[in-house]
Amino acid sequence: MIASEVRGSLADALLLSRALLRHRALAVLRDIKSPQLYFVATLAGVTLFCLILAGTFIATATLQAAQAYGLLASIPAWAFLVYLFTDILIAFGQALGDLYLSRDMPILLVMPVRVPSIIAAKFVLGVVQNEVYVAVFLLPFVIGFLLASHVAWWAYVMAIVGVAAFPATLYAALVVLTIAALRIIPAKAAKETLLLVGAAVPTLFWVLSFYRVAHIGGDLASLRLPDPPKWLPSTWLGNVLSSLAAGQPLHALAWMAVLLGVTLVACPLAMAAVASGFAHGWSGAWATPSRRIRNAARALRPRLPVLWTCARKDAWIFLRTPQLWFNHIAALGFVGYLLVGHKTQTPLLPMTVQLAMVQIGFVSILAALNPGMIAISLERRCAWLMKSSPLLPKEILGAKLCVAYAQSAGIAVVGAVALGAGYHFGGLDVTALALFALLMCACGICCGILFDSAFPSFEWENPNMINRGVRMVIPFLSSLGVLALCAVALWICRLALHGAPQGAAAVCCGLAGAAAIVAIVVSASLRRASSNIEALEV
Amino acid sequence: MPAQLLAAEKLVKTFGATLAVAGADFSVYPGEIFGFLGPNGAGKTTTINMMTGLMRPTSGRTLIDGVDVACRPVEAKRLFGYVPDEPQLYGKLSALEFLNFIGDVYGLDAATRKPRILELLKIFELSGEQSHLIESYSHGMKQKVALCAALLHAPRVYFLDEPTVGLDPKSARLLKDLLRQAADAGAAVFMSTHIMEIAQALCDRVAILHHGDIVGMGSVAELRASSAEQTLEEVFLSLTGGSNHTSAPLFGRPA
Repeated sequence: MIASEVRGSLADALLLSRALLRHRALAVLRDIKSPQLYFVATLAGVTLFCLILAGTFIATATLQAAQAYGLLASIPAWAFLVYLFTDILIAFGQALGDLYLSRDMPILLVMPVRVPSIIAAKFVLGVVQNEVYVAVFLLPFVIGFLLASHVAWWAYVMAIVGVAAFPATLYAALVVLTIAALRIIPAKAAKETLLLVGAAVPTLFWVLSFYRVAHIGGDLASLRLPDPPKWLPSTWLGNVLSSLAAGQPLHALAWMAVLLGVTLVACPLAMAAVASGFAHGWSGAWATPSRRIRNAARALRPRLPVLWTCARKDAWIFLRTPQLWFNHIAALGFVGYLLVGHKTQTPLLPMTVQLAMVQIGFVSILAALNPGMIAISLERRCAWLMKSSPLLPKEILGAKLCVAYAQSAGIAVVGAVALGAGYHFGGLDVTALALFALLMCACGICCGILFDSAFPSFEWENPNMINRGVRMVIPFLSSLGVLALCAVALWICRLALHGAPQGAAAVCCGLAGAAAIVAIVVSASLRRASSNIEALEV
Repeated sequence: MPAQLLAAEKLVKTFGATLAVAGADFSVYPGEIFGFLGPNGAGKTTTINMMTGLMRPTSGRTLIDGVDVACRPVEAKRLFGYVPDEPQLYGKLSALEFLNFIGDVYGLDAATRKPRILELLKIFELSGEQSHLIESYSHGMKQKVALCAALLHAPRVYFLDEPTVGLDPKSARLLKDLLRQAADAGAAVFMSTHIMEIAQALCDRVAILHHGDIVGMGSVAELRASSAEQTLEEVFLSLTGGSNHTSAPLFGRPA
């Protein structure tokens, strides 16, 4: 036997952490085959960063000018809460994916390395992945907020340390919750259950919060959001930021101490809890529960046209894969966010049908992009079947479009009705919202399918992992670009036809203009997607 | 000699500067089982992928019963059945739903399809599991479902990439019998395999691929005669350089 070095637990954990982080970084870099795509993605990421920074700066400065100190004190905590809710969804999937459903776990477990060291390395990997989202979404918010508040340099350092520590506490809590759930349900079912809970609970919480917004006499300075729960790390971080902005460094320091103290205690505790409960969850993780389909023999029905049989297959996959529903829950939840935001935003920007149309257009894009962006990739390693069967690209594409549109159009219409009701709109305005939502759904799906047909990803374990990194940014920004064009069309018509009876003509003309823009985008996208599918090599 | 059912004409595939397949040229006739042998990375799967339309050849073409796969893909694909090396199927469908989907795609009418699906599931001993989701199946069971799908529309040409991997001995024997029956009924069977015994016992002709080149082709007897080797394995090793051993021993006597 060849002699090998024996290391301690800490050395093992450091070695593995470094190796896993390096592998993940290399995988990300090697995933990107085209330098142009890499450039566009970086540009898109930087643009997003700058937009959040500029938006936060302008909004904060406006609120300060209006002396809306009540809002300024509570906005950071609510903003971090929104991130926390989003991260719950991501981190549940990540905890399961990194620990139990990870492909490298069997290799790591047969190595002469202690299980706690593996857990620690996986924990570090999970936190670092979360830090990427923090860097893109939270950091520009924090910088923008502090810039508008004219604080000293050390306030930035303090805030950035706090923001960096934030996901570690959250991840620690969620990893422990995941482990606890695995005591009751097997990993493959837990994945779906936890993600569903992770999507539904925050959404419900947010929608219920809508009724708690205090709005006195339409005056922005008197407007105040309800206090978020004190026990959440997002509230502690929010308090750090608002204290720094208000020139209360001692107050900020105290909240910072709470945040860092809890992080330092929670992370080792979470790792210990995971390491001790790991074996139980692991043994059940790979068992796929055998599911019998009732009346499966009814599948042997008379022959269907090829497009419909492909659509039926895709619909079955959608209905039997709960991970694919979360996107829609999140999109509907966004309507709740809009209704909450409405009370704070209306004094700044009066509500019009056109503004609500743009809002529901955004929701529709959220609902439609994911089904479009994973339509081809969802074939996964079964893509050989699609390519070796006597199917035309237009039949494959048609089926994908039907299923993606059927699911997201339903969500968009429900969202439009809910938004219209929340804004107390009349029937015609709600109809306009619904029509615009349907248009933007078509746009989101086509942008998504176009990108997915050009850069399909067939190597994934969980469908929620298909859209990561570059994949997420480009179609999203393209759809937002189309939405911006449509918004311009709506506004031009509103200005041109000002004074028309109840603005109905302006809305109709705006809709027609938006329909023309979307028709061009849809037609060009589908032509290109069809040729991409034809050229696809498996 | 009857007209060829499958013809690969100077198929070439390059990946950047790497030549994966260097002009594969062969034909398979009705009633024939054609074995495609080669070491790992020789280009067997790439050749099959080009012939089935999964990949576009850099040059050359494939004709299925005279139909060009690249020019008339849908027509050509109706004529063959394919079993890939990894049985990747839709995990969220049951075997019945999956085979019915295949029946729809190949345009089988209900009267033909239903008894054929049930018969195939029965002979591969999947009837008890036919209503369960495929994601819960073992590798071998998935392989059997993939075989059922390929056999469902009784194609004229079969492509099978390592079809016996993962099958238990009984199912492997059943598959060999079915392939022989299909060939006897006039189909052309093209299969890649690593198992020399299967190639020797089942294939009428074999081609040996090495670094993308066909280095030997003919019946097993012809190949043995041309290289003066005793078995197909020895012919294979002599043509692919597989008999060279490493110079230094890797293992010593345990201490």
